[in-house]
Amino acid sequence: MVAGLAAAELSALAETRPEYGGTLRVTTSAAATSLDPADSTQPDSFARRSISLLMFETLVTIDGNGRPHASLATAWRSSSGGQRWQLHLRHGVTLHDGTALTAEIAAASVRDANPTWNVSADADSVVIALESADPSLLAELALPRNAIAKRSGDRPVGTGPFHIVDWTPGKKLTLAAEEGYWGGRPFLDSVEIEMGKSYREQMMALELGKADLVELAPEQAHRISLQETDVLRSAPLELLVLVFTREVASLDDQALREALALSVERSSIRSVLLQGAGQPAGGILPNWLSGYEFVFSTDADLQRAHQAREQVRTIPRWTIGYDSGDPVARLLAERIALNAKDAGLSLQVTSAASADLQLVRIPLPADPWIALAAVSARAGLPPAKGSAHSVEDLYAAEQSALASQRIIPLFHLPASYAASTALKNWSLRPDGSWNLADAWLGSGKP
Amino acid sequence: MLRAVYNSAIPEAIRKPVTRALRFAPSLGICVRLSFSILALSAAWAADWSGPEQQLARKIAAVTGPGAVALTVENRSSLGQRDSEIIQNGLRSALEAAGLRFVKAEQAAATVTITLSENPSSLVWVAQIRQGTADTSVVLVSAPRPEGASSTHDAVPLSLRKTSLWAQESPILDVAVLEENSTPTHLAVLDPEKVSLYRLQGGKWQQEQALPITHERPWPRDLRGLLIPAGDHLLDAYLPGVICASTAAVPLTFACRESDDPWPLVAAGLSSGNVFPPAGTAAISSAIVPRMKAFFAPTRNFFTGALTPGVGKFTTVPKFYSAAPLPRDKYTLWLFATTDGQMHMVDGVSDQVARFGWSSLTTLKTLCGAGWQVLASSSGEQAEDSARAYEFPDRDPVAVSAPIDLPGRITALWTESRGDTAVVVVKDRETESYEAFRLAVACSQ
Repeated sequence: MVAGLAAAELSALAETRPEYGGTLRVTTSAAATSLDPADSTQPDSFARRSISLLMFETLVTIDGNGRPHASLATAWRSSSGGQRWQLHLRHGVTLHDGTALTAEIAAASVRDANPTWNVSADADSVVIALESADPSLLAELALPRNAIAKRSGDRPVGTGPFHIVDWTPGKKLTLAAEEGYWGGRPFLDSVEIEMGKSYREQMMALELGKADLVELAPEQAHRISLQETDVLRSAPLELLVLVFTREVASLDDQALREALALSVERSSIRSVLLQGAGQPAGGILPNWLSGYEFVFSTDADLQRAHQAREQVRTIPRWTIGYDSGDPVARLLAERIALNAKDAGLSLQVTSAASADLQLVRIPLPADPWIALAAVSARAGLPPAKGSAHSVEDLYAAEQSALASQRIIPLFHLPASYAASTALKNWSLRPDGSWNLADAWLGSGKP
Repeated sequence: MLRAVYNSAIPEAIRKPVTRALRFAPSLGICVRLSFSILALSAAWAADWSGPEQQLARKIAAVTGPGAVALTVENRSSLGQRDSEIIQNGLRSALEAAGLRFVKAEQAAATVTITLSENPSSLVWVAQIRQGTADTSVVLVSAPRPEGASSTHDAVPLSLRKTSLWAQESPILDVAVLEENSTPTHLAVLDPEKVSLYRLQGGKWQQEQALPITHERPWPRDLRGLLIPAGDHLLDAYLPGVICASTAAVPLTFACRESDDPWPLVAAGLSSGNVFPPAGTAAISSAIVPRMKAFFAPTRNFFTGALTPGVGKFTTVPKFYSAAPLPRDKYTLWLFATTDGQMHMVDGVSDQVARFGWSSLTTLKTLCGAGWQVLASSSGEQAEDSARAYEFPDRDPVAVSAPIDLPGRITALWTESRGDTAVVVVKDRETESYEAFRLAVACSQ
């Protein structure tokens, strides 16, 4: 019934078996000056998460449903009401310097990343004793900053699928496949990562065939996805937010902050400046992560903004700072200043670091409690806590953070990437980082 | 006292309901898989929402007190309409039991908007309560996420049929049917660490034995493996750099050794007859394929290209993923799907190169058509692959079946020992679970 299919027609089908070999060229806007996953002087970014997990591995990983999976630890248990955790290490794992991964090395690594934790080695396991129960501990251990590294020489040494070949801080990192990787040698022979590239430079590199995987600005993603390029977007994981540098000082201050929050026209900013990317944010956590974000309004209400502003006699002249390296940040800040002016407020855009408000992007971890803690820390708020880590606790903690009026959430944006069609089987992790362990380079031909 | 539980070192629950059953009762699971009618029944799983319904109702009533409210329920989650309606009815009942009456908005003392939402770990039901000019109150509860409905397989095409053999969350490298009546009754399942033997007893699959595979080196990524039922012992297992053989005596043990010995490329039934001849196979073509072996790269996912004894003058071909022989009157035409995406057609004298876009292929010897078909896989634009049967009157393939869609990416395709069927293993991209099917050509239609 279907006889006579010509060979020419068959050639449109693509090969499926992964191919070994090749060098993957990646560009990033972040320019890391340290490869140590626990180096707290390096800002969190999707690129940093991605790069760390090429060289280093965490004890556990967390999937898109928040469930833990074995990685360097194959089993774990908690006791004492969740205050003591014991994680058994995988056997037969070697570090890139050829030494065996031991519980002592793993415990020292976790301790380095978390100086306040009581971490020890016990035979083949790592034991973590906490001052209070932490149901998010496994999610915490799955963060790239808690990846296991041996810190005895110039560079940290990991157990991941790739090892470091060459490293020029802030500029270029060259990695090679680890032949003896316990999870199986990666298909790619090597990965070259050029850092500190603007989004425009990255897109040009992709179009000219000088890069295989690049980052996209949120506002670029829709346009690029219409071209013959593979585009992947994470769930909205990056919070674009206004952060007040000082606490609320008075009732007047409180009213003015409310007026500013009510004046921002998120929907039109999203349509025009973000080219439809992302989601207007009323809450700190995106709805997919919390399940309740929709209860926080994102609509501008100029009438209520005026009412709030009219409670105050003297209007201070606030300054709003932005990241001068972010091409869309200045436009966003100017638009917010215009909205504020419509509400009778005075907002001056500046690139100075000492502004009254800062427009910042915060990459959120994929765990709601840790994400809330990250934002609280960035805004100078006390860490969010909940006795049972229930959704009710989470809502109460988030509401409390918002009630502090230190932050005005604006948008939740996805991490977006584009790749050449030669790059196969690459994927994004729940935290927005790219995963190249199973990626391979095809001929690009059908 | 220990409180929280260990993670599972053994394969954990698979997200599809039918495979969820396997976690608790592998034997029952495969039984279910072998019967589509039972499969349909197993998918009809009803959740009990009464707990969170009553919990939310109590929280709402604590804010509003008993009285008249206007209620709306909105579904913003992935719940289907049926579940949504069941929950809505349950919530109404629970609210009524808590003393609330439902009226129109203009007659209500409070308006309650319940939104069925979700986050990665659970369903989240949120009630926004407005009473007069007071601020909106928000109360919420979480509810366990139900298992999704089983995705139904596409209808089986007329000329290629697939029968589910086994499914599990951990990788399946190959499945060998060791005995069968009208359906398989004794299976061997190869995974990266062991061969598991299952026997159908009293309608349930029971694991008889697990034979561990020992290996010194880490396995390569895209691990491949091959199970070969043997004549004088139960079976052999081939993995990159490792070959294992079971003992002949009971209880069975498995002896594995580091070895670069070549893997057999020709199923027993293609070269010397059938191990399990089914009824009516007498008419099968009498042509046979000479035995052939090929060396597999111990740290990769391909054959090195070195052949033994070789095809005519060719003892090496380019690195290849899979191969399929087609006997001719005076020679055997070998198809090699090479790692550069090309197809090398080697007849002993010449090597003709074409590009068909196949990465996995194998040969079937059947009662249909020309008697010999090549089963080839191709990848779709989406997450699912398909397989299709071809014949080669000369050097150009002629499709003799419609493609059969498979629920994921094909990770293995091997001819079964008797030669007229193949085992295909598929990895579900979404759930990342594995399922092995038997593919057979049905020539009566």
